[in-house]
Amino acid sequence: MATMPASASDLLKSFKLKTKQQELLIRVSILCLVYILAFITRLFSVLRYESMIHEFDPYFNYRTTLYLTENGFYDFWNWFDYESWYPLGRIVGGTLYPGLMVTAVLIYRILRFLRFAVHIREVCVLTAPFFASNTTLVAYFFGKEIWDSGAGLVAAILIAICPGYISRSVAGSYDNEGVAIFALLFTFYVFVKAVNTGSLAWSLASAFGYFYMVSAWGGYVFIINLIPLYVLVLLITGRYSMRLYVAYNCMYILGMLLAMQIRFVGFQHVQSGEHMAVMGVFFLMQVFYFLDWVKHMLSDTKLFQAFLRITVTCAVAVGGIALGLGMVSGYISPWTGRFYSLLDPTYAKDHIPIIASVSEHQPTAWSSFMFDFHILLFLFPAGLYFCFKRLSDATIFIVMYGLTSMYFAGVMVRLILVATPAVCLISAIAVSATVKNLTVLLRSKNKVVQTGSTKGSGGSKSSSKALLDQSQPFQKNGAIALLFGAFYLLSRYATHCTWVTSEAYSSPSIVLAARGAHGNRVIFDDYREAYFWLRQNTPQDAKVMSWWDYGYQITAMGNRTVIVDNNTWNNTHIATVGRAMSSYEDEAIEIIRSLDVDYVLVVFGGVTGYSSDDINKFLWMVRIGGGVFPVIKEPDYLVNGEYRVDKGAAPKMLNCLMYKLCYYRFGEMLTEYGKPPGYDRARGVEIGNKDVKLEHLEEAFTTSNWIVRIYRVKPPNNRCPHNVETPVVTHLGDVFPNGSNIHGQSGTCNPQNLGVCLDLLGLVDVNLGNAPTKPCCSLIEGLVDLEGAVCLCTAVRANVLGIHINLSISLSLLLRNCERKVATEYICGP
Amino acid sequence: MAPKADTQSAGAVAAADASSQFSMDPLFHILKVVPYSFLRAPRLRLKIPSVSLPSAMTVFSLVLLTYFMVVSGFVYDVIVEPPGIGSTQDPATGAVRPVVFLPGRVNGQYIIEGLSSGFMFVLGGIGIVLLDLALDKNRARSVKVSYAIAGISSVVIAYVMTTLFIRIKIPGYLR
Repeated sequence: MATMPASASDLLKSFKLKTKQQELLIRVSILCLVYILAFITRLFSVLRYESMIHEFDPYFNYRTTLYLTENGFYDFWNWFDYESWYPLGRIVGGTLYPGLMVTAVLIYRILRFLRFAVHIREVCVLTAPFFASNTTLVAYFFGKEIWDSGAGLVAAILIAICPGYISRSVAGSYDNEGVAIFALLFTFYVFVKAVNTGSLAWSLASAFGYFYMVSAWGGYVFIINLIPLYVLVLLITGRYSMRLYVAYNCMYILGMLLAMQIRFVGFQHVQSGEHMAVMGVFFLMQVFYFLDWVKHMLSDTKLFQAFLRITVTCAVAVGGIALGLGMVSGYISPWTGRFYSLLDPTYAKDHIPIIASVSEHQPTAWSSFMFDFHILLFLFPAGLYFCFKRLSDATIFIVMYGLTSMYFAGVMVRLILVATPAVCLISAIAVSATVKNLTVLLRSKNKVVQTGSTKGSGGSKSSSKALLDQSQPFQKNGAIALLFGAFYLLSRYATHCTWVTSEAYSSPSIVLAARGAHGNRVIFDDYREAYFWLRQNTPQDAKVMSWWDYGYQITAMGNRTVIVDNNTWNNTHIATVGRAMSSYEDEAIEIIRSLDVDYVLVVFGGVTGYSSDDINKFLWMVRIGGGVFPVIKEPDYLVNGEYRVDKGAAPKMLNCLMYKLCYYRFGEMLTEYGKPPGYDRARGVEIGNKDVKLEHLEEAFTTSNWIVRIYRVKPPNNRCPHNVETPVVTHLGDVFPNGSNIHGQSGTCNPQNLGVCLDLLGLVDVNLGNAPTKPCCSLIEGLVDLEGAVCLCTAVRANVLGIHINLSISLSLLLRNCERKVATEYICGP
Repeated sequence: MAPKADTQSAGAVAAADASSQFSMDPLFHILKVVPYSFLRAPRLRLKIPSVSLPSAMTVFSLVLLTYFMVVSGFVYDVIVEPPGIGSTQDPATGAVRPVVFLPGRVNGQYIIEGLSSGFMFVLGGIGIVLLDLALDKNRARSVKVSYAIAGISSVVIAYVMTTLFIRIKIPGYLR
């Protein structure tokens, strides 16, 4: 029996891991847990509502992904979409970034190959959380590269739950940024690794990472400008090295060639002003290499100094002249408005109203920073301090990434997303360094005692040795307290992140939720209700006009052609729609008919209190329309600079098409207890014009909570030709012998009586033989021919007759029998 | 090996090169002939100011200043031009009361609330920096202790104030 315990303890000893293995186990398990955490924290909306695509842009991505799965890559790459931007159409293959769609389809094919029968929609919904988990892994390796593995682990944890990243990568948000942030961080990590090691393999990987980023998002311009800026800073601080040369050259040349494969990007890398910085630094690197080589060859320093001066002057001059020539000749295009407004934030407000109107493009207030970063806002400057204390190629990179991305995040709220990885990494450095200092303090008790006893070190007197021994437990307790404080702060961060994710960033935007009177959750699914009504109740080739926000959703879910959509590539087309919405109905109908529109869709939040409706967006329609058509002036719609919809509103506002379409029949509606009918809950006022009459449009559908309202465009009135000399030729075109017309007496048209009369006479089925008798003639006595015909047509259109009769025949018969001259055939229009 | 991308002025070149016999600089040779063959170059005791890179901590303090401006919503203030502080009218007395925090939205602020929040963030960051300085071995003990106390109090104050601000701004915070 003595052998048993021995073998048991031997067994246990064989299982006991060495410290290194223990550390590896801890690290791997932490990373696995973080991977799972990053995925599940993004699943709130899937659990609360259902697995659906959110917002607006993802619907376009979903539609293109569907097209790709059904038709294959060649058709997708060469797709011309005639169902949007009617009548212009859109070259989809050349105007999108295919990375996201190709990735989703690849995952879908792999799953199908493994015999998991998933629907492409599920893959699309869960693509973003999957890539967020991958981003945490990349953040770990990046942190390890910059600082050490502890910082890497903290970075992975911080980025897994950071709300700035979650906001655009939640499940259902099937948008380019979900994949692009992974590509961005991956490219940066691999590039820094290449600069640190000088290896050609890593540089090649960074070129391919850059290619993936270019295929995924238009924000690749950030990479292609940050990297030359970083290289420039390295050169200025005297850190030029062969490693940098190899890494940069390989990445630039290969990356540029690969990026040109994307049709949307095309030749921008050699033609656009935004890509010139990277080319300039490329040439500068060659000059540096050349000078280094010459210095190596020459032994005379003075000679070399002179040579240096001449070469650099020449190089800068040649570069400047080349750039100037390029810009003047127009070959190199200047910075586009989208990116120029990042450098000069006031530009968009004055010049490009479409960019300024998007709420994501507003500059950032402090509360948005706090909401998206919380504790990280304290840790960021501390992390910068640690980076500045220990400068290396890698830390200089992360500092530059952090500073530039924070500046851009301050200019535009949407770009907080780009700043998030940098802020998480730098904060991780601060956390890791502080915790390391504290734990060193905790463990330093033995060491200090040893040095005190053996060396009698300078700086500490013998009397203070006793003090040191006394203060040791105090320091230890202080360190423990501080560690608990740090743990507390991080736990508050985790609580904040989860709360923000749950409350603010998990809303699908297409399904609205509110709390009812008793605290129960009320769901408004009006958007999908309206789109499915469109899909099932309108003709296949119907064209829908709405504001550009809803274009993608209408094409994806309603499957109908739209006039403008979220791509906003044609400002004039959008301005035309804006002008139509802000004009009086008579002017608007001209524009609507010229665009061949069959249905008009508006979003109205007055009944539910939904504040992102078209009335709140209306001023942007006026501004954008007025930007192209000066006949629309914004002050016409305002009263003393104020935007109102109640009794004191501007008359142009009270009668424009948007107002009429939104408030049609709303004047009788009781929306809130204790308020008069016609009380608009979103604006909080009683509307000014309650009696809305529509002349050229009729209401087709209003959703159950009045959020989406669809109107049908009525066909134009029957307009009969006046010209007597040129008769309209039909098979019944006769002319009477006595060409007398009854003029002068003014008569009235009473469609109802006329209808009854015709009915009595059995005009239900008319054939040529029957002749109506005279009594009907008295009804149209006194009316000119034209008016009589119009009267009859009106009667039919008002459906008074309730029957469909062959009107051309009956009209002529009636008129002829009443001895009226029929010079031309009158035909009622459809 | 930093490049000196400036073209030297002729006078400085002449003054520096007075002693050396040979120069590769074509500009120098041109200038030696054209004005300075008949003009006498003055004897100056000018020195080219040597541009040296600033120290890391100088750059860090500049960076901290920029961070303060960005995070207090400076760009928002410049573009949207909100008032410095808001005002509301008391319905009962009719007196005008100031409102510090812009209510209703997350992405909106008045100037003063932005600046005070930005100050709190920077204070928290400086607190952590002070903590690190306090753990540095090469200082006197009293300095270390005072740094530690200052650091801890800065972090605590900054965190408490920031949480208070966000609770005032967003009434439903963490509920």
